[in-house]
Amino acid sequence: MSLRVLNPNAEVLNKSAALHMNINAAKGLQDVLKTNLGPKGTIKMLVGGAGDIKLTKDGNTLLKEMQIQNPTAVMIARTAVAQDDTSGDGTTSTVIFIGELMKQSERYIDEGMHPRVLVDGFDIAKRATLEFLENFKTHVVMGETPDKEILKMVGRTTLRTKLYEALADQLSDIVVNAVLCVRKPEEPIDLFMVEIMHMRHKFDVDTRLIEGLVLDHGSRHPDMKRRAENCYILTCNVSLEYEKSEVNAGFFYSTAEQRETMVTAERRQVDEKVLQIIELKNKVCSDNESNFVVINQKGIDPPSLDLLARAGIIALRRAKRRNMERLVLACGGEAVNSVDNLTPDCLGWAGLVYEHVLGEEKYTFVENVKNPHSCTILIKGPNDHTIAQIKDAIRDGLRSIKNTLEDEAVVLGAGAFEVAARQHLINNVKKTVQGRAQVGIEAFADALLVVPKTLAENSGLDTQDVIISLKNEHENGNIVGLNHHTGEPIDPQMEGIFDNYSVKRQIINSVPVIASQLLLVDEVIRAGRNMRKPS
Amino acid sequence: MVFHMQPYGIQGLLKEGHKHLSGLDEAVLKNIDACKQLTLITRTSLGPNGMNKMIINHLDKLFVTNDAATIVNELEVQHPAAKILVLAGKAQQEEIGDGANLTISFAGEILQNAEELIRMGLHPSEIISGYTKAINKTIELLEELVEEGSENMDVRSKVEVVSRMKAAVSSKRFGEEDILCPLIADIVVFTGGVDTSATETKGTVLIQNAEQLEKYAKTEEAKVEELIKAVADSGAKVVVSGAAVGEMALHFCERYKLMVLKISSKFELRRFCRTTGAVALLKLSPPNPDNLGYADSVSVEEIGGARVTIVKNDEAGNLVTSVVLRGSTDSILDDLERAVDDGVNTYKAMCRDSRILPGAAATEIELARKLKEFSFKETGLDQYAIAKFAESFEMVPKILADNAGLNAMEIISSLYAEHAAGNTKVGIDIEEGVCKDVSNLNIWDLYVTKFFALKYATDAACTVLRVDQIIMSKPAGGPKRDQPAGMDED
Repeated sequence: MSLRVLNPNAEVLNKSAALHMNINAAKGLQDVLKTNLGPKGTIKMLVGGAGDIKLTKDGNTLLKEMQIQNPTAVMIARTAVAQDDTSGDGTTSTVIFIGELMKQSERYIDEGMHPRVLVDGFDIAKRATLEFLENFKTHVVMGETPDKEILKMVGRTTLRTKLYEALADQLSDIVVNAVLCVRKPEEPIDLFMVEIMHMRHKFDVDTRLIEGLVLDHGSRHPDMKRRAENCYILTCNVSLEYEKSEVNAGFFYSTAEQRETMVTAERRQVDEKVLQIIELKNKVCSDNESNFVVINQKGIDPPSLDLLARAGIIALRRAKRRNMERLVLACGGEAVNSVDNLTPDCLGWAGLVYEHVLGEEKYTFVENVKNPHSCTILIKGPNDHTIAQIKDAIRDGLRSIKNTLEDEAVVLGAGAFEVAARQHLINNVKKTVQGRAQVGIEAFADALLVVPKTLAENSGLDTQDVIISLKNEHENGNIVGLNHHTGEPIDPQMEGIFDNYSVKRQIINSVPVIASQLLLVDEVIRAGRNMRKPS
Repeated sequence: MVFHMQPYGIQGLLKEGHKHLSGLDEAVLKNIDACKQLTLITRTSLGPNGMNKMIINHLDKLFVTNDAATIVNELEVQHPAAKILVLAGKAQQEEIGDGANLTISFAGEILQNAEELIRMGLHPSEIISGYTKAINKTIELLEELVEEGSENMDVRSKVEVVSRMKAAVSSKRFGEEDILCPLIADIVVFTGGVDTSATETKGTVLIQNAEQLEKYAKTEEAKVEELIKAVADSGAKVVVSGAAVGEMALHFCERYKLMVLKISSKFELRRFCRTTGAVALLKLSPPNPDNLGYADSVSVEEIGGARVTIVKNDEAGNLVTSVVLRGSTDSILDDLERAVDDGVNTYKAMCRDSRILPGAAATEIELARKLKEFSFKETGLDQYAIAKFAESFEMVPKILADNAGLNAMEIISSLYAEHAAGNTKVGIDIEEGVCKDVSNLNIWDLYVTKFFALKYATDAACTVLRVDQIIMSKPAGGPKRDQPAGMDED
């Protein structure tokens, strides 16, 4: 072999061996992820190196957590993870679609077809499918007040594939309200403005949306109030503790009195700042019914805390920077960087501020705010793996709502799109193409069916029966999807099963590309020195 | 030639050393088996006559306990499915502080019954839906069984509290009475140290000759004396400091007849403030009369070789109590501490929700009976699962009887008979080995404990049943632990 001449240590696989290695890896990965797809997918338990448990149904999490070593599988996994990064969902679909495309190609290649021809067909099919998707999608108008029902359906479709039904339905309400809360007209949606907080407490169904904020720390002074109503909120980034001077300074004194005065002088600077805050408090809270809360990004030292506590102010120190942004959005007011010239305009307002202690952890709730543009999803669950599972699901749910708002379109789910697209490819597109590229289109069209097939398989239905009945309905011009409870065709529109347009588009865009690349590999070479193994 | 022989499937994809289990036989049934093994360990510790376990953990510390939370904690369970059960037990322990054993044992029991159902040919998803229905019904029934009039409880009334706590504490330490002693001079509390003050910036004393040095020391002394005098003048008798007390300050305290206590724990200091009603001062300065606390007496006593300071405050307004535990060995003390902890937690839970249920397995039998009736009305395959769920409740009286050395089957059948006759509050009297009305025995369980225990147990069991694939990566390296020394060796 020529490569041996160049580098005697290199390993090489060529021609069909290379191709089959790729196909096998793609199929292997498909087998692993297949059972995840759809609402009836099963849960996988991942046990990490340290014995930590993770339960997941989400393809993305699974791919990230599994330590994949096979180079081809890594390549597919990366595409799938990229899919998640851009659209937040559809990882499992990507992987099984790639696997199926490779499987279909294998059949033709074994019959003597050249991969290049198949790839040409894929390209045509891809373009045709994308065009078809444009016509197939359902427009949704997202004006000032979007249709909540549609959004909820989209959210539910996504969440049901990650969690069990009852919880998913509850969460879909939460995510829709959360996204609508942070949405501002004319601005892109910033999902970071939805704070996701978790408490290990009670049950997963106690997860709720808080219009306001939850901070994961409490006030540090025992005499501060635990609960306050009608609160003015000062959001600031001012250091209320003694800061060392930049230059190397020292005090020189010769008597204890001198030292005492220096000690007080040192404190005065900080005390003055605190007094300014107290002054503002006295100005706005003259009626004794309202309270004053200071949330500081920097530190507050014990003497200052003590002063504030005596003035009846609740003070929280070292808040997260992102929470400062959220606070202003949730409560109003502005974040101040200096305590000079404080006016009541800088203050935000919240109806209720209270502290919740859970074992060692303290949480501060800022609730009942007016007109919030930031909110918190408080996840509860009895143990860490439940919380992690919900967290991943909520992230995807939020993304799917955001996608819908941005796309202003949805795609009928439950496999309806895939069956319809196949029909379109076989009946219309294939005839317009001359020659062998037709085979590529056919392979692509058949591979599309993997989604309804897998859905049926996971629900314990007969795959062939389901596909045939779906095909027949589509042949008669009805657009139907699969009812995974009964195996009968249903109208996804009626059932409220909608997928994201951008997710589907991304899948169709990326899958043929990666599959083509894998098919066109004819040599796999491992050269270079392995640093770990001494040869 | 690493990738010449690529095996097909997942084995070829992952890093070496991982394990992959999938499918009904390999994953689900094995998981159930592991959970069963775990419950076999914990179940014998259920109830007042439960057996103790002797556990030696990785630090060679010996535990003799029958507190399930401690047992599973120290066992360091490795199997992932069994771990889910352990986590459920821990969640229960954190939420209520009691009932961890019920959680784990019950979860194990319903899993064991699920195995039978799987062998009968039911799909796990059908079992899950049946179990979910059953637990929802159970919660409904549980509410019906709540003892009437127990919603309103005076948390200060000792009799009512004790009747509710008895079950929780006695299951850990039967027959030993806990002596709850309410243990609780003007007092000043300083969070900062009692010492000469210092600047944050580095200070240097400027001294040019010996006279100045002497003078400096004098002024320093005078300063401290002035402060301590001011403290003493304010009427304080005891000074409590959160940080170090300087030698010089100590000297002056002695001179002004002040008692000095050092409490380094922040929480203890806070508790101290609560007891005495003092306000913690940050800096060493003369205190206002408002900031002073009060205690009836402060004395140093010797208990079993250890010197303790007792601060007594029997007047009204006492907010803190201390419990002094005494026992002959460390492990008894540890266990006693856990029992008291459970009792305190029960009290805490009680303040939230004081509803009670008949104890001594009376509730379980009633639930089992009613759920069985419910299952007959259910159509579809769910009813098998519900019936099994109902049967699982029999585990509690069975274990209680077993642990007490009674004939379990006899007890259960007579319990059923009594309940069917309408005596829904009949439970086991383990001392006499007969079935009796628990309202006479005065054994009550808290509603919240049962509620959370059953719910967590079912959640955990359903989670275990939902998993059909396990992917385990290679256990991380890290320093190897020492092999436990052989029992026979010295």
